[in-house]
Amino acid sequence: MKTVITDVLVIGGGLAGLRAAIGVRNRGHEALVLSLVPPKRSHSSAAQGGMQASLANVIRGQGDCEDIHFEDTVRGSDWGADQIVARMFVNTAPKAVRELAAWGMPWSRITAGDREVIINGQKTTLTERQDAHGLIAQRDFGGTKKWRTCYASDGTGHAMLFTVSDQAIRRGIAVRERVEALSLIHEGGRCYGAVARDLVTGEIFSCLAKATVIATGGAGRLYRVTTNAVICEGMGHALALETGVAPLGNMEAVQFHPTGIFPAGILVTEGCRGDGGVLRDAEGRRFMPDYEPEKKELASRDVVSRRMEEHIRKGNGVASRFGEHLWLDITQLGRRHIEHNLREVKEICESFLGIDPAEKWIPVRPAQHYTMGGVRTKYTGESPWLEGLFAAGEAACWDLHGFNRLGGNSVAETVVAGMIVGEFIADFCDDPNNSIDAPLTLAKTCVRREEDSLRALLASHGQENAFRLCAEMQEIMTRCMGIFRHADGLQDGMHHLQRLLQRSRDIGISGKSWGSNSELVAAYRVRRMLKLALTIAHGAYQRTESRGAHFREDFPQRNDREWLKRTLAFWPEEEATLPTLSYESLDVTKMELPPGWRGYGAKNHIEHPETEARQFAVERIRSHAQTQGKDRFTLQEQLMPYLECLPANLRGKNERLDEPLENEE
Amino acid sequence: MSRQVIFNILRYNPQLPNVTPHLQRYLLEAADGMTLFIALNEIREHQDATLQFDFVCRAGICGSCAMLINGRPRLACRTLVADLPDENTLAPLPFFELIGDLSVNTGKWMRGMSERLSVWLHAQEMEVDTRRIEERMDAETAEAVYELDRCVECGCCVAACGTARMRPDFVGAVGLGKIARFRADPRDMREDADFYELIGDDTGVFGCMSLLACHDVCPKTLPLQTQIAFLRRKMAAQTIKSAGKKTSLR
Amino acid sequence: MSESVFLAETDLAARGVPSRYPAWLDVLQSATGLFLALFMWGHMFFVASILLGKTAMWSITRLFEGYFFLGASYPRLVSGVAACVFLVFVAHALLAARKFPLSYRQYRVMRAHTRAMRHEDSTLWMWQIYTGFSLFFLASAHLYQMLVWPQNIGPYASSDRIWSDGLWPFYLLMLLAVELHGGIGLYRLCVKWGWPRLSRGLLKKLKWALTAFFLTLGILTLAAYMKIGYEHRLNYGERYHPDTLPQWLLPFAPSGEFSDPPALPPAAEGKEA
Repeated sequence: MKTVITDVLVIGGGLAGLRAAIGVRNRGHEALVLSLVPPKRSHSSAAQGGMQASLANVIRGQGDCEDIHFEDTVRGSDWGADQIVARMFVNTAPKAVRELAAWGMPWSRITAGDREVIINGQKTTLTERQDAHGLIAQRDFGGTKKWRTCYASDGTGHAMLFTVSDQAIRRGIAVRERVEALSLIHEGGRCYGAVARDLVTGEIFSCLAKATVIATGGAGRLYRVTTNAVICEGMGHALALETGVAPLGNMEAVQFHPTGIFPAGILVTEGCRGDGGVLRDAEGRRFMPDYEPEKKELASRDVVSRRMEEHIRKGNGVASRFGEHLWLDITQLGRRHIEHNLREVKEICESFLGIDPAEKWIPVRPAQHYTMGGVRTKYTGESPWLEGLFAAGEAACWDLHGFNRLGGNSVAETVVAGMIVGEFIADFCDDPNNSIDAPLTLAKTCVRREEDSLRALLASHGQENAFRLCAEMQEIMTRCMGIFRHADGLQDGMHHLQRLLQRSRDIGISGKSWGSNSELVAAYRVRRMLKLALTIAHGAYQRTESRGAHFREDFPQRNDREWLKRTLAFWPEEEATLPTLSYESLDVTKMELPPGWRGYGAKNHIEHPETEARQFAVERIRSHAQTQGKDRFTLQEQLMPYLECLPANLRGKNERLDEPLENEE
Repeated sequence: MSRQVIFNILRYNPQLPNVTPHLQRYLLEAADGMTLFIALNEIREHQDATLQFDFVCRAGICGSCAMLINGRPRLACRTLVADLPDENTLAPLPFFELIGDLSVNTGKWMRGMSERLSVWLHAQEMEVDTRRIEERMDAETAEAVYELDRCVECGCCVAACGTARMRPDFVGAVGLGKIARFRADPRDMREDADFYELIGDDTGVFGCMSLLACHDVCPKTLPLQTQIAFLRRKMAAQTIKSAGKKTSLR
Repeated sequence: MSESVFLAETDLAARGVPSRYPAWLDVLQSATGLFLALFMWGHMFFVASILLGKTAMWSITRLFEGYFFLGASYPRLVSGVAACVFLVFVAHALLAARKFPLSYRQYRVMRAHTRAMRHEDSTLWMWQIYTGFSLFFLASAHLYQMLVWPQNIGPYASSDRIWSDGLWPFYLLMLLAVELHGGIGLYRLCVKWGWPRLSRGLLKKLKWALTAFFLTLGILTLAAYMKIGYEHRLNYGERYHPDTLPQWLLPFAPSGEFSDPPALPPAAEGKEA
């Protein structure tokens, strides 16, 4: 049996994993990255529109700061987010953007003077400040008060991933490509690494490490219609779930992106709407202002997606042979803008639809896009249940996004989490108590278990076909666990999924190759995916309220009284067909921003009993600070102290044109 | 109205060396909007589960699925079956290490190339104070850098390159394009003398024979022709400038 | 032996100062190619002067032999030019050979590649290899001839060589090879160095137009020599001498060669007999 020993084992070679690896490498620890694909092919590259960070460079971003970014994020999450984490995040995001700039990221920049933009369907002239010339530009995105989304044309994720990946190469960080982690090696509440499988040769080996990081991205492929890449099957989530010890948080919180190309589900960026694109129905009418008079197309994604589906249900969809859809119209942005700032969108429209988006409308319909849920961690990124297991990025639930993520906060989260969690992992490794005596016997047992399980799978003459099971699951998920959820559908779907999970224990495989064998891979993955699907279904069924992206038709109100809490899903029994759920309450009395109306969407939530008192307390602290002439940092400190939670090197204030940094050290 | 399309796919698995490479024929019913991503998955799920190929984003963004489609390197996910003839040949990208069938190891080669050409930003200062306002760069420069940064390392340019096919140590258009990208970046402190050390020989820019297939097959339509010509001029000028000087280029 | 020999032998030479040779070799390959291509076009025009008449061609030949400014014909001058061109040609061949397929394996890979790709510029490169290879022999033979027997150039001398000596297939082949190779080569020079800044489509159109023009010119010229050679087959070996020259050229001719018309020098009759 082959064993690889390293300091930090990073599972997943996307932005979060690579940035965390760089973080620990900078602190002198060795990192090994396992990746299903070459890192530069990771799904991070598909992020198009941009990354939120309150730089406040553009004129429409003037006055932006951490406070507003924080509020937008918490409102976007429908108060599901951990506000400490949100604070840590908004303070680090500008640093992340600037670090990337120093590493070579080709951020789009500001040209001083007049420029024409489309705002709310109208041509408007903006005048950029002279002293902002050459600084990083921001564009408008959904659910934000200020223009805050930094971007590189509409290939932001690609450019970020290449920048970070090149930095990883520069630091000589080892990456094992086409390797999949099959299970975690753990014992007595301590994680020691993972059992991995080489997808080309089929070799199964163990990787032992002081710290193990799950940074595997989302689980979009649980759904039939998704913007996610084919590798986003949630295998990182499954790693934690299958330990039986480490839970997943909020798995029922699944985001649907308003503008997936119909019917393929390929993403066209929110930047289309941020830059002035509008949604139209079968009659060519712009309908979003009717539903959301304030934010219109730029309400948060959960709201826009729901409104679109609602509008289709009312019979306003465009009929096609694949079903109904709506239109995204960016023609008024002009060819020049599209060819410079929305290049990927143009390429996608040309290649997959054969249309020119500067001339014609794009057929769109909401598609699964983001997994808010993930491996539940503390603010340090470590699982409180399994020491030495960390998670970062989309695979984690540390919990920045609550029940709905804002556009532009995901790529931001990847690098920010990489920076923060990377430091905490390095601290963890620095601690002499955490050095490990390589548990070789344990590793051997774990490897043997995986080998036996795969051998049995290969040898079985089961009746079921893994691909078909997967397709059935995706169909059920799209039908029953989509944008509109109802007890009947959820229950029905859950039963189907349970039956599928049972059937998945009887999969037969025709090709008996031990090495590269897509059927074998599909077979062991579909079992895990079904567990995740059931985690989503069960969580959604139990949560009898509507919050963020989780919308129950039978419980359309947000219910803070009962449900201001995070779902935790454990899978302690391998043979079970449902996860064990428990809940973790959010403490209203400590919130900087107590629950309220989001500023868009429905206005009918049920209050938490402590909300009013907290609101009162917050108001008092606020007015007190105001009368005393305290600055916003002091006020924030009084409302909800968090700076101590950040690694020391990330605690500094962020300089802005209107907010110069005093020469403090 | 359904149309039957034939795919002759080159089959070979280096793990099973006793099976010789051969073309295997698959018949598929074309559907509306069907890309090769959909077609190949359909073949794998319904006809032959042993077929190997690579897709990741299936949206033309990640560069995983480059293969020879009727002899030319292209991204399979962006190829519509409707645009293909009734009979087609699919083969793995040449030049790269074959993993099996249509799957090749571009990742390994690209990483080697990146290390060899040190294609990352060589900034003056390694650690910046990230609290401070970023360095300025004008919008046009940033866009020009982004233009070259759009490369997805799919390997089409190298597979299409006659030079690379004959001389496997050639860095390819992807390598030269990356050098051009960092040369265009004002944050990179390297000078032509430094770049000359990386690409100033027959494995670099002077090995290029200007067949320009790289330019013609690039799925991201990078301006490879003008960029390579530009580098060639700069590298030649660098040589001529420093002719007669006996000192090292450093 | 010197240090550099051992450094080179052990492949350690590359570890210090980067070699400048590749750059120079590339520049020289382009420069020699450019020279040869331009020379070849000029040469084509000179040879094609036969289409304007024997006297025109005779005058141009004499011009290069120094007749009009040195007072007599010195065919050795042509030898000198041929020698220079030969040197450049050999240099170009050496430099360009670096790019040739160096083994049968490489050749097979390249041929399969261009066939599969069906990519014009790559296919054209194969033609450049074929034509370049044939020019090793064809151009060498021709240049050797010019080097050794420079006096055998003239309306009749050349025509006799082409027809009576049976060299017209040789010239036809060389014409095709030279025009294709030079045309493609010049096009490639432009895209290689990025100058002039025209689109590739336009450059390629220009390239084909020029190739078509010179091939037509070349074939017409060859036909003219063949015709003259055929008509002159019975007088093989005889040299052409014009009766007179155009008025404007007369002052340049050595004194006495062409007296003012109508007086005919008695020697001329004998020559033309």
